[in-house]
Amino acid sequence: MEFDNNLNEISAKIQLLKKTAVELKKLGENFPALEKNIARILASLKMLELNISDIVDLSPDG
Amino acid sequence: MHSDQKYWNPVLETLSQKKLKALQLKKFKRIFQWAYDRSKFHRKLYNQAGITPQDIQSFDDVRQVPIVDKSMMRDVQRKDPFPYGDNLCVSLEAVCEFRQTSGTTGQPIYQADTWQDWEWWAECWSYTLWAQGYRPHDRVFIPFGYNVFVAFWAGHYAAEKIGCEVVPGGVLDTQARILKMRELRATALMGTPTYILVMADTAKSKMNIDPSGLGILKITCAGEPGASIPGTKNRLESAWGAKVFDHAGATEIGAWSYECSAQPGGMHVNDAFFLVEIEDIDTGEIIETPERRGKMIITALDRYAQPCIRFDSKDIIEWDSKECACSRTFRLIKGGVLGRTDDITKVKGVLLSPIAIEQVVRGIEGLGDEFEVVVDKVGDIDRITLKIELLPGMEKRRSAIDQMLKDQLRLQTNLGYRLEYHEIGTLPRYNVKAKRFKDLREHS
Repeated sequence: MEFDNNLNEISAKIQLLKKTAVELKKLGENFPALEKNIARILASLKMLELNISDIVDLSPDG
Repeated sequence: MHSDQKYWNPVLETLSQKKLKALQLKKFKRIFQWAYDRSKFHRKLYNQAGITPQDIQSFDDVRQVPIVDKSMMRDVQRKDPFPYGDNLCVSLEAVCEFRQTSGTTGQPIYQADTWQDWEWWAECWSYTLWAQGYRPHDRVFIPFGYNVFVAFWAGHYAAEKIGCEVVPGGVLDTQARILKMRELRATALMGTPTYILVMADTAKSKMNIDPSGLGILKITCAGEPGASIPGTKNRLESAWGAKVFDHAGATEIGAWSYECSAQPGGMHVNDAFFLVEIEDIDTGEIIETPERRGKMIITALDRYAQPCIRFDSKDIIEWDSKECACSRTFRLIKGGVLGRTDDITKVKGVLLSPIAIEQVVRGIEGLGDEFEVVVDKVGDIDRITLKIELLPGMEKRRSAIDQMLKDQLRLQTNLGYRLEYHEIGTLPRYNVKAKRFKDLREHS
């Protein structure tokens, strides 16, 4: 499958995005427009994890 | 735009079954731990069974996890945290969506979702719509009364996510919806099979509009099994001149399966997001082999606010032995959802599924789309009356149709029926889920 070789790289970038979003969320306390938009971004990032990151660390033979 | 990519997720949808199983086990452990840590309901249930998260190491361990059914969910709701009760795994502040079941089989179940869960709903539906050929150039009309029932809400959000243009056909009546579809040149449609048939009939009989000329190319049906019943599917496709696809989901579960554009005579289970087990109704044994029917026990592997772990859906399904031409590795269930354990009833000592009757009626030319089945007793003997509508101009064929019906019903259900013909348009019409089966025996 054409994407298999890139999965680690894609997953790493998802984690980077997540780290940034979590940091932003901390900065957004008492700043609803920041906090609530970050909450939505984190939900979308979770979908990326379900679609990609979750299979990255499965053992190759199963 | 990657409209030529046939899979929504080219990795997961082609992953080997071995890897999918590994993914399911990993996710099952995760959701089990989550529920155990956060929900009194789940922790009590599992403690009583002597199972902790550390005990889940294999699918054999998964099968020891107690099954949850609707009655258990009804028992906990309307208590704190109100109205969901103690199977809620997040704070009430984190809940942003309320839905409830239709209550067809009793007191409705309330369902809480966080925004992440709602994204997940739309994600599951995105697998469905993409597999059925929805693309950003589509203009999707949704003739659904947006309300407390989940129905096509997530289909709406998924179509937006895919990049389609979505036209919400909410409070319009059927004729206004048809006019709006024509005015905007909609290319796709979602609805229950019952309502999609009603729309076609309304267009033809009341508006002199041929629905097959409206330009609808694909229709996604859900809420009832009709789009997987060949007779009903043929009627829908022929009336609209469109491809008709089945999809199955439920408020407490999520959008767990879909028919793909190859139309394999069944639906794919989204094996990456759900763990579907089939249990023998009599013995409780888990069925792994194809073409053996049982009831579905399902786990939504990524739903967090109100987890769905080994839920008895009461759907009857069976694995298909063949692989799909679409090359998805997600397993196929043959013929879609074949019935519900609470729909199947014994008549004259024979198990009767209303779906078998629908397949016969909808497969006979000359009969209208609607029908009704009434079971009552004459003395001590069960009697089944099948009410059908003869299409205008078919009077001369009535005796041939009569014979065909009796033969097919006997063949498909092993039962004899009293046939009652009604004028076209006189049997009840339904806009959402139809109630065509009436068992009056307890009142006889």
